[in-house]
Amino acid sequence: MIQADLSIVLPEVILAVFAMAALMGAVYTGKDKTAPIVLWATSVVFVLLAAWIGLTGEGINTAFGGAFIDDAFSRFAKVTILLSAAAILILSQDFMTRHDLFRFEYPILVALAVVGMMMMVSAGDLMALYMGLELQSLSLYVVASLRRDSVRSTEAGLKYFVLGALSSGMLLYGASLVYGYAGTTLFSGIVTTATEGDVSLGLLFGLVFVIAGLAFKVSAAPFHMWTPDVYEGSPTPITAFFATAPKVAAMALFARVAHDAFGGAVSDWSQIVAFLSVASMFLGAVAAIGQRDIKRLMAYSSIAHMGFALMGLAAGTAEGVQAMLIYMAIYVVMNIGTFAFILSMERDGEPVTDIDSLQNYSKYQPGRALAMLVLMFSLAGIPPLVGFFGKFYVLKAAVDANMVWLAVAGVIASVIGAFYYLRIIYFMYFGEDRDALDSSMPLAGWAMLMGSATVMVVGVINLFGIEGLALVAAGALVN
Amino acid sequence: MTNDEPSRRSGNGFAGVVPVLISGAIFVFFLTLVPQISAGDVLRWSYDWVPSLGIKLSFLVDGLSLTFSLLISGIGTLVLLYSNTYLAGHVQYARFALFLTSFMLAMLGLVLADNLIGLFVFWELTTITSYLLIGFGHETTKGRRSALQALFVTGAGALALLAGLILLGISAGTFEISEILAKGDEIRAHEMYLPILILLLAGAFTKSAQFPFHFWLPNAMAAPTPVSAFLHSATMVKAGVYLLARMHPAFSGTDVWLWTLTIFGAVTAVFASFLALRQTDLKQALAYTTLMALGTLTLFLGQTSSYAITAFVTFLIVHSLYKAALFLVVGCIDHATGTREAEILGGLGRVMPVTAIAAAIAALSMAGFPPFLGFIGKELKYAGALAVASEPVFVAGAVLLANALMLAVAGVVAFRPFWRKTDSELPRTPREAPWQMLAGPVLLAAAGAIFGINPDLLQVPLVNPTVATFLGDPTDAKELKLWAGVNLPLFLSIATFVLGLLIYVIHRPLRNLLIRADNAAPNFDRGWDAFLSGLKAFAWWQTKYLQSGVLRQYIFITFATVLVGLGGTMLVRGIGNVLPDLTGIALRNWAVVALITVGTLIAATTRSRIAAVAALGVVGIGVALIFIIFSAPDVAITQLLVETLIVVLVAVAMLRLPFLDAQGESDHRPWDAVLAIGVGGVVTLTLLAVLATPLDLRLTEYFEVTSWPEAFGRNIVNVILVDFRALDTFGEIAVVVIASLSAYALLRTTAKEKSE
Repeated sequence: MIQADLSIVLPEVILAVFAMAALMGAVYTGKDKTAPIVLWATSVVFVLLAAWIGLTGEGINTAFGGAFIDDAFSRFAKVTILLSAAAILILSQDFMTRHDLFRFEYPILVALAVVGMMMMVSAGDLMALYMGLELQSLSLYVVASLRRDSVRSTEAGLKYFVLGALSSGMLLYGASLVYGYAGTTLFSGIVTTATEGDVSLGLLFGLVFVIAGLAFKVSAAPFHMWTPDVYEGSPTPITAFFATAPKVAAMALFARVAHDAFGGAVSDWSQIVAFLSVASMFLGAVAAIGQRDIKRLMAYSSIAHMGFALMGLAAGTAEGVQAMLIYMAIYVVMNIGTFAFILSMERDGEPVTDIDSLQNYSKYQPGRALAMLVLMFSLAGIPPLVGFFGKFYVLKAAVDANMVWLAVAGVIASVIGAFYYLRIIYFMYFGEDRDALDSSMPLAGWAMLMGSATVMVVGVINLFGIEGLALVAAGALVN
Repeated sequence: MTNDEPSRRSGNGFAGVVPVLISGAIFVFFLTLVPQISAGDVLRWSYDWVPSLGIKLSFLVDGLSLTFSLLISGIGTLVLLYSNTYLAGHVQYARFALFLTSFMLAMLGLVLADNLIGLFVFWELTTITSYLLIGFGHETTKGRRSALQALFVTGAGALALLAGLILLGISAGTFEISEILAKGDEIRAHEMYLPILILLLAGAFTKSAQFPFHFWLPNAMAAPTPVSAFLHSATMVKAGVYLLARMHPAFSGTDVWLWTLTIFGAVTAVFASFLALRQTDLKQALAYTTLMALGTLTLFLGQTSSYAITAFVTFLIVHSLYKAALFLVVGCIDHATGTREAEILGGLGRVMPVTAIAAAIAALSMAGFPPFLGFIGKELKYAGALAVASEPVFVAGAVLLANALMLAVAGVVAFRPFWRKTDSELPRTPREAPWQMLAGPVLLAAAGAIFGINPDLLQVPLVNPTVATFLGDPTDAKELKLWAGVNLPLFLSIATFVLGLLIYVIHRPLRNLLIRADNAAPNFDRGWDAFLSGLKAFAWWQTKYLQSGVLRQYIFITFATVLVGLGGTMLVRGIGNVLPDLTGIALRNWAVVALITVGTLIAATTRSRIAAVAALGVVGIGVALIFIIFSAPDVAITQLLVETLIVVLVAVAMLRLPFLDAQGESDHRPWDAVLAIGVGGVVTLTLLAVLATPLDLRLTEYFEVTSWPEAFGRNIVNVILVDFRALDTFGEIAVVVIASLSAYALLRTTAKEKSE
């Protein structure tokens, strides 16, 4: 019995054991000197695990009495999380080394966070959910303040921690209400209670609190306040990490709770999610206009993008979940490329994040400027780039679910949002002459930037077949 | 006008020639399709793109798309040839040619697409490429602003269009345009007809610069002149008109369609003709006459009569020919003299005879004089206007006024600069343009004359099949002829000439009048600026008040959101009025409540950390007492232990922090109190409401039944802790031990550091 359970959670176990072994190994050998080896080893483990999960996973397997679910949905999310985390780790090596930030704890903390994320997307029980969520969050709090000697970085970590703890508190409060009124912490049990006739008030308030807690994690407005500060304060590679894998995990967890645990009460949560979606899209779009710092801008951009992904969820259908998954996968690829570029923004060896510094960039680096043009257009959702298809899927899901108003709101928000992406392009191509940024860019960063931009263009042919995978994944969750 | 600075080099080599050859080949290719299409064939080509969403990459060649394709590729070829000389030696010419060619291909894709999503994709591609082209002169602030403005107005419309297209595709059950057109009746009767129509019109009207979205087009004249000739006369702005024409069979015939298009078209046409006369910059004047033409085309698309449709098709071709020619002529003038100011230019006829003749022919066509195609177009317009279903007098009046003004503008643009006597100093000594630049205007103007003299050349190959795409039958097309006998349209034509010449004669005083009127009228361009600064102001406000960087404020907002969310839900659901029954509560219970309340108040108001921590401890003890009252002594003991531990730990940590600042803390406390009372109240109400609903007792029952037989214990809580959930308890103990170990390690390190 326990053996069967363990074989299902084997990838998580391997990763956790690897992280602990690496920690011990590094502490008792060369400490920070081993950081590059640990980083590469972690990336390789990530990629191998992703390949393993993606290629061999089959069917729906549950472990520990239903507390852990391995299905097409969790596998889709896990592969996305693992691959993006690996990409970000590889990207960050150069930056970390040059700015004397390269601690061996960094890749290990990321690995632990990823274990948490994998638990989150596979959670079939409120306790498993909370465990995964906290493992992820605690690791992230620490990496946010990785630059211990910088006031901004520590401030970012502290803010993140306090607000994160607050949200965890809300989530727990909601979870206890749910437990009290459903009589079980298992999602499969909650969904039976929720479908039997009316949803009781206790369950409903529990749901509201759980959603509030989850909204924090996906940084949906009005629970988004930590995002810009943390994005700006953390070292850039960490910001890149925040913008990718944890978002996928939190979004997948959101979908998991909404459908697996409250699938019988779609009408009760879909309005709340729709509200979060509209608020995030508009806040993200409008607030970003005033930003001069590209990292803060990307924070607002991620808030707006989460709003779009939530739109797919708000539809409350399998199609909506499919759209959400496609959206997240595309979003992650775009963000990896964009952050690869942001990491290379330096002047005299010092990182700069001011948008103004990109003035006339196309003149000095036409290739990179073109790649950014593609990425920004794609982020803005301008066809025929892949980013447009992401938006198209969620819009269509919303329309199909009779939420035309939501789709219209999304369209308006994306018009406003286009403004700031284009402003970056505008500076790059039509700016005034300024001192050029440093021209060096590590090979890994260059490859990710170009690769991501190429994907945005070439992907329009068939989205690399991701559509079918997402359909299967969504089918596993919603039935 | 740095970008219009002429250079005396003759071309741009490879980058100059190849695009011309490509577009020329495309034009020839479409010419070879003419016999097939005029014989009534419709060509389709299709490839599955995203099959699950019904998106195909499919193309359709019929009369309408062929006419557009010929105009696009033909004028494109001439414009590319022209630009090669106009921008000769420009450092970024290769980029320019790439943009322009890409634009042309996107435009062709747009008119040939047979799938709604395909159409939209090409639509957006034209938006982006035109953004790049308008912003080509990006050294000037004006160029950048205009490019951005055009992008936003058309981009916003395009997204509305996307929403409309998706709705249309879903309502019709297919995304293939040819299939949708066959379902006209179904669509007109569909409940979503009106929303779809509004969204489509929003897209079309912004793209085709209809009032009140017109303001971006004159600004877009910041683009190099060949770009204006191509995008803003013959192609891009006609994309909106094309969309309306394409959807005509499926959407037309309803009152909404008829009136919306008629009114918007007519208002745009008249309004724009007046503004055209107001301009002194030749290019700006042409820009407004383009608006007028777009308005007229929209106006006719509102109708369904065969006269109106024939008028639409004919005027579409006429306008593209003469307007592109005139833009190119203005480019020649600008190139040769360095200015486009109507008040300075004059007497160019002698130095630039070929340009002058081309200009004259194009202008005569524009003004609607026989024997040019413009005359036939105008006659048909009157016939179409008189046949309209809505308000023939109103429409004919609007067309008459617009045409007369058009005639006057034609005189200002194409006659005065060449034949007026003037002694103004020109910035440059003019000379005749080279042949590459003359080819465009001459050929386009000649086409207007040839088609005018022999309209049959146009009738059978293009007009009839195009009309057939609207009405289904090529024989429905009205005949294009120079002499249609003495009829009402002829009299209207004569009236137009008289009125037009009159306006031309008095155009200068009229212009001053118009300038004054225009300055007094609400300005959409300024409205645009206000809109942008409004957005920025909101962003600023957001940063200042929501994203202040102060953690305390974030927490405040979070709790406020919870308050509003929960309170709102309660109000909506009407469950806020659950009053508890307060009778029969024992005195000791009141005592505990008082204890907790006092503890809370002290914790919230004191300025001493130690006092606050101690007060919190009192609250915790109160909670423990509640457990005792409800006979759960073991839970109470746990609570007491935890509470003691927390008080000790927090006290140790807080002692190391600096003292609270008694000053700056005072201002926000009242607000915090209000919020705290609000949240507390709402949570209390929530709990009361929740408690009023029956608890799910399955768990309690389960433990009640099984605690003795399975675990040999009678105290359920105990049994759960040490038996049913023994492993959890073990885990909790382990966590507490690890936590204290690390706390000990931390404290030891700091103590050591201190002693050193």
